[in-house]
Parts: sequence; structure tokens; C-alpha cells
Amino acid sequence: MVCLGVVTAAHGVRGEVRIRTFTARPEDLVAYGDLCDEQGEQPLAVQPTGCVRGAVTARIRGVDDRNAAERLRGRKLCVPRSALPEPEPDEYYHADLIGLRAELIDGSGGPEPVPLGPVTAVDDFGAGPVLEIAVDGGPPAMVPFTRAVVPWVDVNAGRIGIVAVPGLLGRADEEKAQGKPRHSPAAGRP
Amino acid sequence: MPRSVWKGPFVDGFLLQKADKVRSSKRNEVIRTWSRRSTILPQFVGLTFGVYNGRKFIPVLVTENMIGHKFGEFSPTRTFFGHGGDKKARRG
Repeated sequence: MVCLGVVTAAHGVRGEVRIRTFTARPEDLVAYGDLCDEQGEQPLAVQPTGCVRGAVTARIRGVDDRNAAERLRGRKLCVPRSALPEPEPDEYYHADLIGLRAELIDGSGGPEPVPLGPVTAVDDFGAGPVLEIAVDGGPPAMVPFTRAVVPWVDVNAGRIGIVAVPGLLGRADEEKAQGKPRHSPAAGRP
Repeated sequence: MPRSVWKGPFVDGFLLQKADKVRSSKRNEVIRTWSRRSTILPQFVGLTFGVYNGRKFIPVLVTENMIGHKFGEFSPTRTFFGHGGDKKARRG
């Protein structure tokens, strides 16, 4: 299931709710069919009525007063992943990338890949998409989502290849990639 | 008040030296920097910088339309929580 929004508050006294959307365009909240909860149950017929303070206001069928609307606060609005259209080549949904197992590879296609950790987030701070990887036993690594650094993505196999570019990962991760043991404070300074 | 034009854009000297070194070596390398205040210059285009945000280094692949901005603008210091929703990422 892909979460497209969450009910943040009741709006007015006639049963409208305020929804924080996670879609690229707020109006796409209802573009993929009926919204349901995280288990794919309890479908809700949501009809947007406007925008307020960056959120979408909407009317939900069967919710006619403020008390009923307030009971929905915190409710996640999801659609099945299959409801989203197929992306273009070299385009990936954030929902597909999150959870892939990153593997550190040699750019020259040399030794076998070293497991790094799962992709936990995809951010874009204005300089292109960046993958956040929770490195096993180390600080999180931020990796630019470019062909030079991420030469292959295998969504079906749940794997993604990361080229070990100097300076990309923390010192501990680079040591891990080279097969060196991590320095422990108990062992004294090297 | 904006910076005086006669001074030229501000950039830390050590960052300029690092960038020149990587550019001349033609190696694919991330230049780690803490200098969020430095202006992005035309000679940085195509290089990747790791800009520190107080916690981690955010990779910034410099493109032409970033020239004149500061490195810190591309490395936010506050955490944003959200869901991917239907957002897509295109591989650059």
C-alpha cells in the first residue's frame, strides 16, 4: 500500500476534514480511485472541496458532523501500489525505491558486491534525488541518484547497486567496503 | 543589503583548491565540505560536493542553474518527515 495522505483535523462543523497530502500535486489525492486504510480495508469516498494552509479540505461520504470528522484524525489514506500508473524508463516511484537493499559495488565490475543496508528515504533538496541508506552498523549514507553512482536498480529483486565513490560514504563504510575491521575505542587508537 | 559587486562572489579558498585538484585529476570523487557559505562558481559545474548539514554530508551534484547560489541552500539542516506518495525520482 502507498500512503497518499493523512487526515490532520476536522474542518468546519459540517463534517469536512483537512488532509495533508503526499502526492506530487495535491489534486492527485483522489486520482487513483477510492482511498482505504493501510490494510487495504475500510474504503473512503473522498471528495476534495478546496485547499487551506497547504492542506486539502475534503468531504467524506458518511461523515456529516464535526464529531465524526474528528474521529478520523490521524487516519492514513492509501491506495494499492498497483493503482499507480507505470513510470517512464529510468523513473522510479519513491515507494518502490524505499526498502531496496543497497549493495556496494566496484565501478569496474570487479569483486562481488558488499551488502550496505536498506534504502530508507528518497529526498530532493534541489540538487536532484538523494537516497538515504541505513548502513548496517554505521551512520546513514546519502547517495546521489545518478547513473554514475547508482548504475543499476532491480526493483523486482529488491536490490540496488551503489558504486564506491571516494568521499561518498563515511570512513567506517569505506573501511567496510575495503574489508577492513571497524576501529573500536576499547582497542586503542591505531 | 547585498554584497558589493567589486568584491566578487565569496568562496572559501580551501574549497576552491580542493575543487581544482579534483577537476584536474578527472576522478569521480565527492568533495566533502563544511563551507555552506561558499558561492557555487561556474568551475564547480559537474563536480559532486558533500555539503555538511550538521549531521551528515548531503551530496550536491552541481549543475549550471545552481551557479550563484550558496552550497548551504542545497543541504537543509532540519529534518522533514513524510511519505513518498506518488512522487517519482528520475535517475540523473
